Amino acid sequence: MYKNLYRKEHLLFREAFKCFLAKEIIPFYDQWEKEGIIPREVWKKMGQNGYLCPWVEKEYGGAGLGFDYSFIITEEMAYAGVYGLMAGLHSDIVAPYIHTFGDKAQKKKWLPGCISGDIILAVAMTEPDAGSDLSSIRTTAKRDGDSYIINGEKVFISNGILANLIVVACKAEIESRSPYKDISLICVEDGSPGFSRGRNLEKTGWHSQDTAELIFKDCQVPASNLLGERGKGFYYMMEKLQQERLVSAIMSQASAEAAFDMALDYCKQRKGLKQAEIPIDANGIAEMATDIEIGRTFVNSLINDHINGEDIIKKVSMAKWWTSDMANRIISQCMELYGDYGYLEDYKVGRFFRDARAHPIYAGTNEIMKRIIGRKLGI
Amino acid sequence: MDFTLTTQQRDIQKAASEFAKGEFDPDAALDYDLRQQFPLNVWKNASELGFIGACFPEEYGGQELGLLENALIVETFCRQDSGIGMALALSDFGSEMIVRNGNKDQKKKILPFIAQGEGIVTSAFLEEGCFLAPFATTAKISNNECIINGMKSFVTLGSIADYIIVVCQTRLDTPHAQTVILLKRETDGIEVSSMGEKVGMRMVPVDQVAFANVRVPAENIVGQEDTGYFQLQDFFNEMRIKTGAMGIGIAQGGLDKALEYSKKREQFGKPIASFDAIRNKLADMYIDVEMARLITYKAAWSFDTGAPDDRAILISKMIASKAAYRTTYDAVQIYGGYGYMTEGHIEHFYRDAKVLDLFLEPGQIQRNMLADHILGGVSEK
Repeated sequence: MYKNLYRKEHLLFREAFKCFLAKEIIPFYDQWEKEGIIPREVWKKMGQNGYLCPWVEKEYGGAGLGFDYSFIITEEMAYAGVYGLMAGLHSDIVAPYIHTFGDKAQKKKWLPGCISGDIILAVAMTEPDAGSDLSSIRTTAKRDGDSYIINGEKVFISNGILANLIVVACKAEIESRSPYKDISLICVEDGSPGFSRGRNLEKTGWHSQDTAELIFKDCQVPASNLLGERGKGFYYMMEKLQQERLVSAIMSQASAEAAFDMALDYCKQRKGLKQAEIPIDANGIAEMATDIEIGRTFVNSLINDHINGEDIIKKVSMAKWWTSDMANRIISQCMELYGDYGYLEDYKVGRFFRDARAHPIYAGTNEIMKRIIGRKLGI
Repeated sequence: MDFTLTTQQRDIQKAASEFAKGEFDPDAALDYDLRQQFPLNVWKNASELGFIGACFPEEYGGQELGLLENALIVETFCRQDSGIGMALALSDFGSEMIVRNGNKDQKKKILPFIAQGEGIVTSAFLEEGCFLAPFATTAKISNNECIINGMKSFVTLGSIADYIIVVCQTRLDTPHAQTVILLKRETDGIEVSSMGEKVGMRMVPVDQVAFANVRVPAENIVGQEDTGYFQLQDFFNEMRIKTGAMGIGIAQGGLDKALEYSKKREQFGKPIASFDAIRNKLADMYIDVEMARLITYKAAWSFDTGAPDDRAILISKMIASKAAYRTTYDAVQIYGGYGYMTEGHIEHFYRDAKVLDLFLEPGQIQRNMLADHILGGVSEK
């Protein structure tokens, strides 16, 4: 634990949330994984208990806490391996767009629902031909009187089935001086004419996380749904990506810790039963523990710096790629400690293996992280 | 030293490739994986063309090919689809013991049956919490009869196999005194139950097989009584090479897909194959595949010469399973978001690849064995 990062209140909050997880989420999670979706009521339960957007001010119904509390939630959920309910995406990645760039009316309209769980958020950036290269998105928004008319297609959108408010990155008729200067963020509410959703996609892991295609066909939304200024979307996204990547690093780190703790317990049990025909690789276990400790130290230092408002773009890019590859490496090795059993879904380590493969991909691929680091190094 | 394949070997490769491209429907593969179904039709067609039991003697319906040729078939199939490739490769799992140690009657009974795609054979040896010796599953042999009791785990295709080759402990005082017995799955006293869903290799059910006073005639004993442990060692050596072949196939399949995708997919105005981040990966993947292939072919070749190179065989399984894992990990990465989605047709290669590290014995055991070899028997134990 990073020195002085958490106070007593944090620890109490963490304990309370762990109890909530143990009671309301974990016992039902396997079922939701089979069903491919999290019941909407569970989001509401999270909200009722104050676990969605706890950082939002009291005037909007929030708890007025810091992001440090949100990160505790993210960390504990990743430790438990319950990715389907993407509270981190909702609370710490999408809601901040509304909070920072929304006007008073937008915040009043939407934030209370985000906190209660009545509104589930998603952000739609990726398109079939625009993944790493965000500036090449093709979804357009045309001003028509008091409306925007949106046309385009977004893919791999997390919370894509459940979301009832989606922040959509689109090009809104700006005379393009640079591809970066004509992206705008517009909120699309569920039920907007011309908005529809594709299938809930099958994936390697995160089975209960609804990931879908979103289709906008002459989709009409009020002009007042524009977030912030027209044409500033790219910069808004860049501003918020620091936190998104920190959330990703926190998740990767916690998933490595969880798999390691499980595998270590399993090895100790086996040792106790004298079933040590399959050798326990103490040397390899020591190496894994070391990797995890290095990751934890780095991640906690970044949480600390981020909360203190520092610009940590370079370091957070490093943490995102390193922790996500590390988590995959560690979990893969942990599986081997289980022998053949590691491959059975009844042993949770297999699910961690499937789930972890997402970390190096989303929130900017690891290749993009290295590109950013390179730029920051002046090459 | 000659590293080129013979004309016959290249013809086999070509035939296997044409078959796989024609018969392994990519969408059907996803469906088999999702529904955890053995690709029965593909397997039937493969056996009709002689791809199953290719190593069997000609008089028993095989083509008398060597292990290297068989490895080429396995590699080519897994390259086209990891799931279907592994399922076909495991459809005659254990028949190696019949070929090597079985008597004429046993060979006549079982080998043509498998080669012609009339049924599936599997082998049952692993047990809960125990590696290879001694086993808790016992066979009592007396009055020309074996009575089997116990439970085997991780029996691939256990629930659909027609025959099971089970390795039992026959003398309790000697850990290595084990006996191999061939029996029909539908014998009184055998109960098969699923071990549940798996991360990958989902077309191959993995089962527990319980034996409760299962009685079979002593003529079902394969080879000599009490030689099971040693038969198993030989079988493992052969399977390590086959696993190596699965590994290079899956790795090459991942690389094929990654190459194709990275040339076609454009970001920032050019194909992603033009970025260092991707080029470095592709080069590393190629290195992995090529290294694994060299050692696996060497291992198979040594096996076919009758003087198996135990070290090469161990390395083959270790390197090829790592190559499969690393290459498919990178292939998924190159595909980006699409890589994590089932419909990208790459993520199941990644899930499937992971089994190779665990299959037969975990990599750590092989590392220990190799260390024993190169240390010349110096060991802590």
